[in-house]
Amino acid sequence: MAASQERITVYNLADLKNTSDDALPNYLNSIGFTQSHRLTDVRLALGYSAFALAAACFAWDYRFGFDATKHLTAAAVALYALLNGALTLWVLYAERGTVYVGTSRDGAETLRVSTATRKNVPEYLVTVEVTRKGAAPEEIKFARSFTEWFDEAGHFVAAPFQAAFANSVPAIGRADPKKVATAAKGKEGSDGSEEAAAYTPEMLDMLAKANVSVVGSAAEEATGSEAAAKKKGGKRRKA
Amino acid sequence: MLSSLGNPRQAAAQLMNFGLILSSAFMMWKGLSVITDSPSPIVVVLSGSMEPAFQRGDLLLLWNRNLMAETNVGEIVVYNVKGKDIPIVHRIVRKFGTGPDAKLLTKGDNNAADDTELYARGQDYLNRKDIVGSVVGYMPFVGYVTIMLSEHPWLKTVMLGIMGLVVVLQRE
Repeated sequence: MAASQERITVYNLADLKNTSDDALPNYLNSIGFTQSHRLTDVRLALGYSAFALAAACFAWDYRFGFDATKHLTAAAVALYALLNGALTLWVLYAERGTVYVGTSRDGAETLRVSTATRKNVPEYLVTVEVTRKGAAPEEIKFARSFTEWFDEAGHFVAAPFQAAFANSVPAIGRADPKKVATAAKGKEGSDGSEEAAAYTPEMLDMLAKANVSVVGSAAEEATGSEAAAKKKGGKRRKA
Repeated sequence: MLSSLGNPRQAAAQLMNFGLILSSAFMMWKGLSVITDSPSPIVVVLSGSMEPAFQRGDLLLLWNRNLMAETNVGEIVVYNVKGKDIPIVHRIVRKFGTGPDAKLLTKGDNNAADDTELYARGQDYLNRKDIVGSVVGYMPFVGYVTIMLSEHPWLKTVMLGIMGLVVVLQRE
């Protein structure tokens, strides 16, 4: 995953977002967070029960005809509308674009990461809600350009993506301290421009090339210092 | 993309989206059935027997409740004949008696004779329960798609296949 041989179309915002969304659970799980699938599971339960109801309705309609099952069908239609409405509300108000919910290794912090994009703006809008045990949830918002972790050809480069999260969210930074350090070094190196990305375009290209030719977690050695830490993560993710 | 199918929850969600599209369409149809009290509230005209009112391919909206008045002479109705599963759209031209036992005779506007020939063997008239609904609205030409689909069944397979592929491959 980290060394994505797969290429996406860089002009396709949905592709950019989906690839990034998919990479996030891999990363956070690899640095010791335990993912919770409750939101997805509730959505699947609602959706599949609605589908099962429709299938049952089809079955009795096919077998016994319309007139014999009229009232049953009316009830099924009403219930289906309810289930579908609940599903819509769940997606709109409970999930709110959530791509990851997880608890840190020591169980003290819970993260809820939701992402969004705005039409025709190649920016990844991230909202992280960190809940510490017995404290009010704290919200961290940041926006990063997709160009920071996608190269020109459309390869996903894991290191800068992960660094963006590690640097913006202290809870993630603490779980993956090597990433924070790397980014800080990178910033000092790039002649003092504070807002500059940790990775210059040249570095991105280099990383991508290494990823393509070497394949697998070995590609991460191109980034040097954090390779050792990352490699372990890479192995775990595959398991 | 296809690689996302490696994640069972994501695969399940994508399959669910496809299923929900199909089931929502079906339940909307059933909802319309329940509201209009007709097993088949939308039908397509298959013949020219009602010209110039309806042409082949017109889409008809039916209503099968007698809230205000009984189904009466002059109404265009869709009915099923026992033993034949093709619904017929014709006009009621005669009515004897009232209530559910009224005897109804129908005729196509463009036909020379009434429908006694079309009814089942030994049947000389229709009852109210044979009627699927009265025509309350129509949309010209739209139904031609279904005529095409039923005359060339392979088109159905192709369409369903394309729809399925699009939903599975696309996440948006």
